[in-house]
Amino acid sequence: MTVPQPTPEEIEERATIDRSTRYPVMFFFTSAAAWLLAATVLGFLSSLKMRVPGLRDDCQFMGYGRLFPAHMNALVYGWAMQAGIGVALWLMARLTRTPLRHSVAILVTGHLWNAAVTLSVITVWFGFGKSIPLLDFPTWVWPVVAIAYALTVMWVVPMFRTRREGVPYISEMFIVGAVLWFPWIFITANVLINKGTAPVMGAGLGAWFISNLSYFWMAPVSLAVAYYIIPKISGRPIFSYPLAHASFWLLAFLAGWTGFSRYMGGPFPAWMSAVSGAAAIFILLAILATVVNLMISLRGCSKLWKYSPSLRFTVFGMLMLAIYAILSAASSTYSFGKDLQFTHFVAGLDILAFYGFFSMTIFGAIYFIVPRITGSEWPSGSRIRIHFWFSTYGIVTVIVATLVGGVAQGGDLAIWDRAFSVSFVNSTASIVGRIVAWALIGYSNLLFLIQLYQMFIGKGRKSEGPTLLHSEPGKAGSAKAAAGLS
Amino acid sequence: MKFDRFAKLIAGISLAFALPWIFLVIVPFIQGSNLEPVPYPEGQEVDGGIAAYPDPTLYRNGSSDYGRQIYAAEGCAYCHTQVIRPTYAGADMWRPGWGGREEDGLARETQARDYLQEEIAPLGYQRIGPDLSNVGHRITERELMHRHLSDPRSLDPDSGMPAFLHLYEESPDGEDLKPTKKAEALVDYLLSLKKDQPLPGKG
Repeated sequence: MTVPQPTPEEIEERATIDRSTRYPVMFFFTSAAAWLLAATVLGFLSSLKMRVPGLRDDCQFMGYGRLFPAHMNALVYGWAMQAGIGVALWLMARLTRTPLRHSVAILVTGHLWNAAVTLSVITVWFGFGKSIPLLDFPTWVWPVVAIAYALTVMWVVPMFRTRREGVPYISEMFIVGAVLWFPWIFITANVLINKGTAPVMGAGLGAWFISNLSYFWMAPVSLAVAYYIIPKISGRPIFSYPLAHASFWLLAFLAGWTGFSRYMGGPFPAWMSAVSGAAAIFILLAILATVVNLMISLRGCSKLWKYSPSLRFTVFGMLMLAIYAILSAASSTYSFGKDLQFTHFVAGLDILAFYGFFSMTIFGAIYFIVPRITGSEWPSGSRIRIHFWFSTYGIVTVIVATLVGGVAQGGDLAIWDRAFSVSFVNSTASIVGRIVAWALIGYSNLLFLIQLYQMFIGKGRKSEGPTLLHSEPGKAGSAKAAAGLS
Repeated sequence: MKFDRFAKLIAGISLAFALPWIFLVIVPFIQGSNLEPVPYPEGQEVDGGIAAYPDPTLYRNGSSDYGRQIYAAEGCAYCHTQVIRPTYAGADMWRPGWGGREEDGLARETQARDYLQEEIAPLGYQRIGPDLSNVGHRITERELMHRHLSDPRSLDPDSGMPAFLHLYEESPDGEDLKPTKKAEALVDYLLSLKKDQPLPGKG
């Protein structure tokens, strides 16, 4: 089973669409990558500070309680949201077959978005924060973020209406969903938290927001990418379209219920964390069905994964998504959750969502999109390979360290007559693992940023064939050719 | 036809999300906003002649309210929780001093009304450091609390807490640290953290 090959007119049409998205999309990608590097450095510093608490104590900007939220804000608003918007713009243009209009307006709002992100990082770092993860910027900052977001993505949704054919693609549905869900949860959480009339719900909404952000922005955008890239590169259709639709609607119905299980046993009605836990378990089914659906679509293409950077990153991201869904569901049940609550495990789960599955999939998308919109190829396949392996080792290190560290810490905390500091001393290895992981990830992201910048300024490779992870001497051409599949 | 599909998708997404939005977020938020102090019933004697839970006369004001903002701004809640879970969900109640004054039989898990004096309850993200729900009972001296903030590892060499030296300034003779207004406010706040007030109709 193969998909029909495009005609020359269609290829020309695609090139027109790609050219129309070039400047806004490249702007979002490069500034997102710069924020990612900043976030990595802040993540490294905050982990280091946790290991060496006395490090530069006299400097107020070196407090863990300020470094960590600044790191989270840079990672989510600077990198994840921005890269996601870039991917959404390009994917919608391609899928609806309409060139992107208003690119100057989008560039302007893109600058506004970056200004808003800078505010959200700087204000928290300089000591105006509220200690609510990802919502802790001062009250006047969030409307700026919301407005910048609205002005940027308001061009995306109408594109869905102008598309030519009947049946919407699954990737389109995920993009439209993500684009609408994010402002809904962001505005709800910020309005209610800043109202400040229900203090306990303020904290609960923080947990609800993080979980919803993972399932309503990180997951849909990565799934939109995976549902686009995997068939494109393998040349095979998605194994089951009804299954893909079913998992979309499962996610849409369930994700809003998650989040409160983070405070199980907390000062909330018990049904709230129970409902959240149940929702997380049902979402696990949706995510596993999706990932299996995608993997079956790839059957027989194992060699492609060796050569195509986009495919390799995307597939790895999807595997991470499955792991995230499993760990998230497990920690939402009382049996595991009560011991994992408030441990390193929680932080690890957030890193897995914001960095693990989301970023790896988006890297895959960026490796796919950028050559098409700039008309040149990535400068070096070996650097992409280093990027992949350092990121992979970094993520695996973070996950193993936080998972094992979290279980150990939870065990120490569960023994009531064991001194509290034992739980901290025993998690030393976990914290060192986090430091090492951020260093590895930092190096890989530096290489990524350099490559992306080279592409941005037009220093990419001018070549007939795409850049593959392993080049074969004397044999230019597509990944499929290199893998012997075409 | 095009519009139909678009409208259907939007309607479906909105409907699917509206359910949790209303029932998990809006309704509990309204309920949470309507929480009022509960007066003690006749016959329940509470130390200090307090009339209601939580005691409205103990509401944070002035310095300790400023301290609450410092607590948030320094990101204390990223390492310290302020939530005592019931025994089925953790060993918090067993840890000495965490749940409140055990010797008086007052230790208990935290309840939603315990946080009425906050704007956002600082329930916390991780437990890198101990829970602070009842730290005002465990550490009662100002001096000691200042030492916990300015030089935590002199009290516990294994502590992972950074010293908040930027909240202190050197005294003119260069020997002692002098707390700034911010440090005094933060200490006021921490000393006020007591979440073991008896519940009406119990104990």
